Amino acid sequence: MKRRLAVLALAIASPLALAQDAPADMPEGDYERGRLVFGQCRTCHYPEPEVGHNNGPSLYRIFGQVAGKQPGFEHYSDSFREAQFVWTPQLLFLWLADPLAMFPDTTMMARGIPDPQQRADLVAYLKRASIRGLEAAPESATVPAADEEIQP
Amino acid sequence: MKPSGLQRRKVLAGLGLGAGVALSGSAAALARSEVKRWDETVDVLVAGSGSAACSAAIEARRGDAGVLMIESLPRFGGSSAMSGGVVYAGGGTALQKAAGFEDTVEDMYRFIAKNSSGYPQLDKIQLYCEESVAHFDWLVAMGVPYNDRYTDVKELTLGDESLYYSGNELAWPARETSRPAPRGHVPGEPGMTGGRRLMEALLDRTRAAGVVMRARVSGRRLVLDSDGRVVGMQVIQDGREYNVRARRGVILACGGFIHNRDMVQRHAPALFDCSTPWGNAGDLGEGIAMGSAAGAETLRMNEGFAITPIYPPESTLAGIVVNASGQRFIGEDSYYGVLGDAIAYQQQGKAWLVTDAASSFDFHQDNFLEVAEAATIGDLAELAGFPQGALQQTVAYYNRFAATGRDPLFHKQPRYLQALDKPPFKVWDLSVKRAFFTAHTFGGLHTDIDGRVINPFGEAIPGLYAVGRTAAGLPVAPYIASGLSVGDCTFFGRRAGIAAVQAGVSA
Repeated sequence: MKRRLAVLALAIASPLALAQDAPADMPEGDYERGRLVFGQCRTCHYPEPEVGHNNGPSLYRIFGQVAGKQPGFEHYSDSFREAQFVWTPQLLFLWLADPLAMFPDTTMMARGIPDPQQRADLVAYLKRASIRGLEAAPESATVPAADEEIQP
Repeated sequence: MKPSGLQRRKVLAGLGLGAGVALSGSAAALARSEVKRWDETVDVLVAGSGSAACSAAIEARRGDAGVLMIESLPRFGGSSAMSGGVVYAGGGTALQKAAGFEDTVEDMYRFIAKNSSGYPQLDKIQLYCEESVAHFDWLVAMGVPYNDRYTDVKELTLGDESLYYSGNELAWPARETSRPAPRGHVPGEPGMTGGRRLMEALLDRTRAAGVVMRARVSGRRLVLDSDGRVVGMQVIQDGREYNVRARRGVILACGGFIHNRDMVQRHAPALFDCSTPWGNAGDLGEGIAMGSAAGAETLRMNEGFAITPIYPPESTLAGIVVNASGQRFIGEDSYYGVLGDAIAYQQQGKAWLVTDAASSFDFHQDNFLEVAEAATIGDLAELAGFPQGALQQTVAYYNRFAATGRDPLFHKQPRYLQALDKPPFKVWDLSVKRAFFTAHTFGGLHTDIDGRVINPFGEAIPGLYAVGRTAAGLPVAPYIASGLSVGDCTFFGRRAGIAAVQAGVSA
């Protein structure tokens, strides 16, 4: 139901916002590059389920969850505590462009990632990290072969 | 759907806002004669809201000064609130004694002074060590929560103990320069949120002390009198230029500059190459720029921490770390700041961890990529591309002595010594660009032991103080222990707050 409402909200959003949300605007992400882009987020966030919440909430299986509602995390801003949208890859892609501009009261003191390709890479990484640990997905957990600068 | 709830529509609409929120502008100093009027007058203006800023503000208020604290971001706390919250303290602190450890000021001093390379400011180190016991008592009095428990783990991730060896004390050659003692003092709670707990306490005290705290106000330009004295700051408040007169002084506590990528590339190329800038969004070098424009000298601008956490798990420390020549260059049990520094600054940013079945990572991790696996060291070396025969020679030499509990090259502690002889063997990439390799800047304004900012002629700039990572302080490259940075912030922050109150009032 919430997801359907979110889609409805999308339909009545401004043309500018719609243009920025069009999935076509999100480049195809690369998991391995995203692994490194995500590194700076680890001051506060971890996608590994065993680590749990930190300065920021856990990002394990973040997609599909209603924002700001994870049990056990008590440091959400008012915006996120009252939020009613569901985290999708597209929304995370948008949010990370400039977090402090989008939700000025956020507790996340990060400037975001201006480069769209890097944001898409990060999203790809979080998708992969969220399925790791599930016994049903061993192939997805395989680390791709490194392609450069590995030769001493 | 509640009307007050943040909905997707608002999420999308919000993106269009605030494109110009990030304020920047000339940091050139402003002549007092150009200031038409003061919008506000305070005794002490503190720019920033991390542990250095709060410590300065608390002490300035204690001296009965009127203090205004400004923070460019929406939230107070700075990088300190995102850190581990470790304070490096020793010489026999209450916590060290309660946990049953002996320590002396001299041992603490020798550890820091002899292992901090590049001619560190010894007067700062000496004072920091001499007053460390009292400074820890101050942190306790500020309400920072510590327990009496010690742990022997090398890194505090999930434990809730308050005391541990947070640095390189037990590694060679550090353990020969001073008697080791655990000096990492950290708020006791599970997880890596010690910095948040530390800052909750310090921010509470700052508020309670009567410091006026304003978020979303950015420092822009220092105001200089004709004699060179700093008499105030032009800030951006509510989108407008706003002139704050500071009768006793301005304290720059604006953090470092790791997120100003151009500045990092110009000043600290080794840190620029590290994959992971580490710090709060406010670490943009604004305080350093304002101070420089007022005539300050900068020190150690190329230095910072470069950290690659090959532990936990500590089982990996039984592996070996090699350079592009397939040779070891450091004891693998070194503090990860010392190991990271050696890779980033001395090995052109490239290194590899070689493990066997016993020393391999025993869980999935995303910090390091496995680049080769083989049943023999020879096959492993060929797959990874080391020079012919080099890795085999390194491993053979290492194994020969490891089997007897010795490491003639780097004296790794026996608890981490075992022959690499159980296949499969693996090579993991520890290179700065491909591993999880965090970096934070340590370079900043030259200050004396009271935080007074010094110009290139060796003179203090009247009315100007700098603390925390806006100043060049105790932490240098290599970073030899967690807690030296936040320890420096809190200790020298306090001294600057006291000094500013004792200084004369500008006309």
